[in-house]
Amino acid sequence: MAGAFGFKGCQKIRGPQIRGLLEAKDFFLFDCDGVIWHGENAITGAAKVVNSLIRHGKNVVFVTNNCTRPRENYVHKFSRLGFTDVMLDQIFSSSYCSALYLRDVVQVRGQVFVMGCEGLRRELLEAGVPCVEEADDGPDATIYNCTLAPDVKAVLVGHDDKLTFLKLAKASCYLRDPECLFLATDNDPWHPLSGGRILPGSGSLTAALEVASGRKATVIGKPSRFMFECISSQFRGVDPAQCLMVGDRLETDMLFGSNCGLDTMLTLTGVSQLEEAQEYRNSDLTTNHSFVPDYVVDTIADFLPAFEELEEQND
Amino acid sequence: MSGTKCTRLSGAPVRRLLDSVDSVLFDCDGVIWRGDQAVPGACRVIDLLKEHGKKVFFVTNNSSKTRRMYAEKMSALGFGVSEEEVFGTAYCCAAYLRTVCELEGKKVYLIGSAAMAHELEAVGIRQTGVGPDHVSGKQGDWAAVPLDPDVRAVVVGFDEHFSYMKLNRALQYLLREDCLFVGTNRDTRLPLEGGKAVPGTGCLLQAVETAAQRRAQTVGKPNHFMFDCVASHFGVQPERCLMVGDRLDTDILLGSNCGLKTLLTLTGVSTVADAEAHRESGCAERQGMVPDYYVDSIADLLPALQG
Repeated sequence: MAGAFGFKGCQKIRGPQIRGLLEAKDFFLFDCDGVIWHGENAITGAAKVVNSLIRHGKNVVFVTNNCTRPRENYVHKFSRLGFTDVMLDQIFSSSYCSALYLRDVVQVRGQVFVMGCEGLRRELLEAGVPCVEEADDGPDATIYNCTLAPDVKAVLVGHDDKLTFLKLAKASCYLRDPECLFLATDNDPWHPLSGGRILPGSGSLTAALEVASGRKATVIGKPSRFMFECISSQFRGVDPAQCLMVGDRLETDMLFGSNCGLDTMLTLTGVSQLEEAQEYRNSDLTTNHSFVPDYVVDTIADFLPAFEELEEQND
Repeated sequence: MSGTKCTRLSGAPVRRLLDSVDSVLFDCDGVIWRGDQAVPGACRVIDLLKEHGKKVFFVTNNSSKTRRMYAEKMSALGFGVSEEEVFGTAYCCAAYLRTVCELEGKKVYLIGSAAMAHELEAVGIRQTGVGPDHVSGKQGDWAAVPLDPDVRAVVVGFDEHFSYMKLNRALQYLLREDCLFVGTNRDTRLPLEGGKAVPGTGCLLQAVETAAQRRAQTVGKPNHFMFDCVASHFGVQPERCLMVGDRLDTDILLGSNCGLKTLLTLTGVSTVADAEAHRESGCAERQGMVPDYYVDSIADLLPALQG
């Protein structure tokens, strides 16, 4: 729990303290990459942790900034990796939440120009949000001679491996209209793959478009609060005090938890190191304290002994 | 001192200013031409300055043309100009990589135009190629893309073939701490008539900087390197030099950074109101963007030159 001056503990916790958390909290939010799995490999023990939480009647949701896959793909992946009983409605991706934002919050009338991959477009179309058709611009098309779609009311930037200069130019033209919204699925500058490698993230494309348009994007994904509002809305009201946010990235997951008033737990199986968390904690800048987790574990498999004890108690 | 800045240049002060300088540096777009049209009177101004014994140079952040291509464009518009008088960022970036980074005989990963490739080759720096470059295969393949061990720097200029794959390759090279990172300029937009805006090099550079979480060294205005290029070729004294431009944050700031006299022309991007806002801001860093003088167009210099 946050200390007397709102100072986050950043403490590694083990068995009895974890058991305390399991008893106190009934809503567990997990990031995926680096927390539950690395690419196609589940973190050892993760499936058992998730299955146990669900069996103990806890609410479990997955909150990911990854916008490249539709949620159905995640359902299949969970099943493939041994996580039984994970349903579609437990999965919150930045692409799904972007679709909800456009449909329910903005109630967009008109088309959306999407700079993103197929997974993102699918979520929008499934939500009934009209997207500008991917243009079949010929090889000689330039910003000088291409046609712009009429009635574009929003530009949405995500991870776009088919990015071209022409798309960037079209997007900045649409954004000249101050009535046209500027949204980004997430701001991650890079994202990790298995084996310690990284790829450019949505944040780098968003930054390019911010410079081109002179405007700032509204970010849907972590650390913005919106994904928590989606979750809360779907579960008919979630009390932040009942929640634990478990993630691997200080600047997204921990800040997200902090922004939403949730307790936060850093797991060390992903991007951020304990030393980085400690540096933020020791920083003079109070804004840096929002990156600091309340709790730290080496891996979420550290929950398992606590479950065993709970089960022994119940026997 | 700041109270005397940003005054309209007309009448007797025009002749006094011109007599006080031996060299004049002009930005191009928005100063001597707009798109493909010369600013009326601009050709005559250049000719008369030369007749009066002034040295005249052209300093542009645009990286898509070689010096020769600029000279050809200018001749076609009626300007009497030679290649050696033009300093674009393709040429200056190559000069920077050779003299400051000492990369002659070495290789760079280039995101840029054929013009940049040409200027690099002219100073003996190899580059990885220009043109389209798209993703293929799967995500794992992209992160494991083979890197040329001879590459010593990532160089970013204007590239209409910019793509995710190019951004990715630049990122992978920049993960090596000893890989240098150089950009031509940070201009956010290219000027274009007709309501369309074309993203400038600044956007591409920002994408790479964000992905790599590193900042590039830029060569173009307002960095002093372009003035250093001119001065080293032609022995120009800063206090006897006038910088004429249309953008406060590149042209005028370059002039201030190098101790030149500065003249804003209103045929381009910046306005007098912009300049006055900087002057009244009370912020020391913004004073460099306040020009000494302004004119509606460089044609306003003609009466003093013809008299």
